[in-house]
Amino acid sequence: MIGDLASLYQAIELKQEIPPLLIGERANPNGSRKFRDLLLADDFDGCLQVGLEQESRGAQVIDLCVAYAGRDEKSDLPRLVEKFAGSLKAGLMIDSTDPDCIEASLKLYPGRCVINSINLEDGGANLDRICRLARRYGAAVVALTIDESGMAMTAADKVELVERIYHLAVDQYGLRPQDLLFDPLTFTIGSGDTTLFDAGIQTLEAIREIKRRWPDVATLLGVSNISFGLQPAVRKIINSVFLHEAVEAGLDAAIVDAAKVMPLAQISAEDRNVCLDLIYDRERSEEDTPLMRLMAYFSDHQGESEEEAEHGSVPAEEEIRRKLVRGDRDGLEDLLTILLQRYPALEIVNRLLVPAMREVGDLFGRGELLLPFVLQSAEVMKRSVAFLEEFMEQDAESGKQTRILLATVQGDVHDIGKNLVDIILTNNGYKVYNIGIKVPAETIIAKAREHEVDVIGLSGLLVKSAIIMQQSMPQYQEAGLTMPILLGGAALTRSFVAESCVPGYTSPVVYCADAFAGLKAIREYEQGCLASTRTAAAVPVRNRPGPKEAIDSSHDVPSVPFWGRRVVRDIDPEQLFSYLNRQALIRGRWGYRRAKLSKEEYARLLSETVDPLYARLKQRLLDEHLLQPQVVYGYFPCRSEADSLLVNADSELFRFDFPRQVLAPNLCIADYFKGGESAQDLVGFFVVTIGEQLAELTAELFRDDQYHDYLMVHGLGVELTDALAEYWHQQMRAEMGFPDPQGQGELEYVTQEYRGSRYGFGYPACPDLEAHRPLFAMLRPEEIGVSLTETLEMVPEMSTSAIVAHHPQAKYFAI
Amino acid sequence: MRYICTCCGYIYDPEKGDPLNEIAAGTPFEDLPDAWVCPLCYAEQDSFDPLD
Ligand code: B12
Ligand SMILES: [Zn+2]
Repeated sequence: MIGDLASLYQAIELKQEIPPLLIGERANPNGSRKFRDLLLADDFDGCLQVGLEQESRGAQVIDLCVAYAGRDEKSDLPRLVEKFAGSLKAGLMIDSTDPDCIEASLKLYPGRCVINSINLEDGGANLDRICRLARRYGAAVVALTIDESGMAMTAADKVELVERIYHLAVDQYGLRPQDLLFDPLTFTIGSGDTTLFDAGIQTLEAIREIKRRWPDVATLLGVSNISFGLQPAVRKIINSVFLHEAVEAGLDAAIVDAAKVMPLAQISAEDRNVCLDLIYDRERSEEDTPLMRLMAYFSDHQGESEEEAEHGSVPAEEEIRRKLVRGDRDGLEDLLTILLQRYPALEIVNRLLVPAMREVGDLFGRGELLLPFVLQSAEVMKRSVAFLEEFMEQDAESGKQTRILLATVQGDVHDIGKNLVDIILTNNGYKVYNIGIKVPAETIIAKAREHEVDVIGLSGLLVKSAIIMQQSMPQYQEAGLTMPILLGGAALTRSFVAESCVPGYTSPVVYCADAFAGLKAIREYEQGCLASTRTAAAVPVRNRPGPKEAIDSSHDVPSVPFWGRRVVRDIDPEQLFSYLNRQALIRGRWGYRRAKLSKEEYARLLSETVDPLYARLKQRLLDEHLLQPQVVYGYFPCRSEADSLLVNADSELFRFDFPRQVLAPNLCIADYFKGGESAQDLVGFFVVTIGEQLAELTAELFRDDQYHDYLMVHGLGVELTDALAEYWHQQMRAEMGFPDPQGQGELEYVTQEYRGSRYGFGYPACPDLEAHRPLFAMLRPEEIGVSLTETLEMVPEMSTSAIVAHHPQAKYFAI
Repeated sequence: MRYICTCCGYIYDPEKGDPLNEIAAGTPFEDLPDAWVCPLCYAEQDSFDPLD
């Protein structure tokens, strides 16, 4: 026997053994924002997905509506009908009032569908055309109880209209009674409107009467109207209770959000009673209406219904989104297994996971999600994709993915900036070729060709790397490369990229301040609107210079326990932790900023998340002996000569040239040392490192996709390197005869509440790293395992160098 | 309210201002000139976090 309805795959009875027939309502731009956005974006695959999702949640027929201002229903509807017909096992309900659109769709649909809808609003003209179509193409029809005077409100009016339409459709146009679905409409009982308080009763009565007089026709209802105006959590309960009552009254089919229908068993007797009071308008008085009681009741019991929304009844599609956004990996594989029964693996990635990661990026951009949590989300993403990979066809994806080559430039061992970019891009669905550190331009060119990449991304830590980037631009140009190049790293600036890098290469060259700027650039590339960085309109003027400062050179030269260099290895790693700049670690390196949190929320974040994390990592670094603090330092006789410092070491003269501020107070490091032919002063230097072990751990964490811990361990290592410098500077001050007063702490170090200063080469008071050459000749840090690359970077990366001035006026400044 | 530099830990205290850079005592963080940067590490103002 032929069913009432049929899709390409199966027959569907309008009158189910266990009613109601569920008709999904989400594929409608007027009812679902998601569907609307997809439609407006011409994402027809996404639209189909909305249909498939409903099917997976139990919808037996999918209502499809595409009428929306600014869209062309005539082309959209047939196109989607074809798509839906090919993929959905569920039946189709064509939701349109335009007979031409309906006809075009009916022609394409391979089964028997339902037309939604006819009515007598215009006196019958449309009804005439649609009924003829229904007969010609063998479709069922939904009829609404509306006529020239509007929507029927009372049961009697509704039934009368059914009678008129039934007569026309069956007697005049020859449709079979079983092809008709009457929708007696319902209105909200949730608004407090006194003319509507019996709207539920009228509708239920109409259903009963229709079924009594015309047993062959089907009844249909858009159930959720009943609760319009109330809280979503409450609506879900009322709708479910009302649906149950309507089915009891004889309802055959319901247009619903299939995901939101709750089994009656899940609703407590008390909840149900409050709803029934409202539906049947029981025990009404002026001061005490059923609606008031319901609202009061649910404001107390809201918790329970929301709880329910949190657990159990959340669809898997929503749950996976939440897991990603929250960075929660509990039960991840189980959830993905459920989803795999509904979608192909690739669809899960593209339709569910990638949009969720996009949301994560947006939250980060708005300051609502901190970096460590973004990395946790990325970990969940990575795990999900790894799990799904074995269900994907090989290379199914790679064809259309945007490909990006990432490298740290020649002479630079800085890994983490580039790796964070790798993490963010990979976990937003891009194909990344991360070819490592110290990569010469020739290799970058060869690899870009080999992998046929769409975009190149280059990274570097120090200014020298920025210069390497600048110098290699013409090389990429000459090699004939045409893909855009993204540049990033701490020492780069927007204007350097705009002025020094952009001119060397024809295709876009783009400055990226962080990984998300990189993501944005890739998106712009895909949309065809990526453009080279241009100089920022106004260069920010720095702090106003103070008055010219006179440096008093009558200071005493301290005496020191030895002259020349010394190596120190017996440093207790634990000691470093008390010199740590915790604020810079937590808020800066780790990214646990207060941002939009209140003071209390931030305190909770610190005590519940950050402090335990710190304790855990500290323990691990100590237990596994991952820190090998080592120092090479020395005191040398010296004198200044204009802007230079001449240093005696091993009876050789080493010269350090320092720049001078152009504006007042015209500071220059050389001024802190006595000058003149016969002057005698003292200068200190050091190179410190925490060794190589930690870098091995970070590399391992990155390899194992433990992104969060990767950033945390790296950040801690970086700050411990600084702590070692702080510690050793303090030792040197003590040796020179000015030990710190008791109780000196973090804040005093930050603000240099001690005598003299140390200046790291490359930092703002002495930006030129060339000084590393004489420094390394004097101190020979190779003995503690520290060497220089061709661009004067120190390896291991967690090493730092400084010149130590003891002059009381010496403090930080910038050229 | 005091603000802390997330890069280096410097604390901007409105009660003290930043005399070196001619910021008068009593100037709230929000009213600092746009060009004002961390006096220690030169981080820009968006690198600062509220402290209390
Ligand atoms: C932490 C730090 C250190 C640490 C550790 C370094 C490390 N990373 O291992 C320590 C204390 C050891 C250190 C030492 C030194 N440092 Co230091 N250091 C920094 C600091 C504060 C942060 C660097 C960092 O690790 N950031 C974290 C990572 C994840 O960020 P990132 O690499 O910048 O990457 C992000 C973005 O830049 C971007 N990005 C990066 N690459 C790419 C690529 C693409 C394609 C895209 C899209 C995006 C992108 O996205 C990433 C993620 O969001 C910077 C200043 C700053 N605020 O950035 C100075 C800084 C890099 N250091 C500087 C200097 C001078 C030094 C020293 C030379 C000082 C000294 N004399 O000892 C040494 C050199 C060390 C060495 N090995 O040679 C200068 C460099 C200037 C210069 N003249 O070159 C800086 C810029 C400070 C400054 N303002 O002067 N430093
Ligand atoms: Zn600072």
